[in-house]
Amino acid sequence: MTKADIIESVYERVGFSKKESAEIVELVFDQLKETLERGDKVKISGFGNFLVRFKKARVGRNPQTGKEIEISARRVLTFRPSQVLKAALNEGRVPEGDGPSAEDDDDAPDADEDDDE
Amino acid sequence: MLKSDLVNVLVAKRGVTQKQAEATIETIFDSMKDALVRGENIEIRGLGAFHVKHYEGYQGRNPKTGEVIPVKPKRGLLFRTGKELRDRVNRGNEGSSPAGGSAPTGI
Repeated sequence: MTKADIIESVYERVGFSKKESAEIVELVFDQLKETLERGDKVKISGFGNFLVRFKKARVGRNPQTGKEIEISARRVLTFRPSQVLKAALNEGRVPEGDGPSAEDDDDAPDADEDDDE
Repeated sequence: MLKSDLVNVLVAKRGVTQKQAEATIETIFDSMKDALVRGENIEIRGLGAFHVKHYEGYQGRNPKTGEVIPVKPKRGLLFRTGKELRDRVNRGNEGSSPAGGSAPTGI
């Protein structure tokens, strides 16, 4: 899946024009990136949390030459999937064997968002 | 930042209704989730890539009792930050960012 597929979903499910869907999806990801760039975290309930972690400088080693090099202090982005997403990844799967798609019998047990009012 | 903040940004910057904005944000993350559940990887240029990793089941052992315990196969999720974002996040560290990222201690 790429951004184009996400844009397609927004186009189909929300009903904006193709162009508008593209611009809106772009805006959402730009917003995510700006937030993370500032060092703030992004929490998407039901999906996961993106957080920026500060790493101290440390001594590493070039695995090819064995030469020691200093790895500078840096900020890195980490993603932690939510429990909901982790569970969804593992439910409805065939317990043994690798049947390609035998999980049609229990669709959307995870769709209990309360956005209807 | 939460989902509701993203909704507010869409309302403020794009002039869409609250309902449309909520539906949009839900759709974006739901469609990503659905893809991952189908076992698909996701690649968002500039942001990063989500990779579904399959772990094989194996015969584990309780180290205390020596009892054999079957560990079931499972799927995990890996995220690798894209180059653009990795650089942007790290640059915020140097205090040269205009967005006030000058305090690397503030995490």
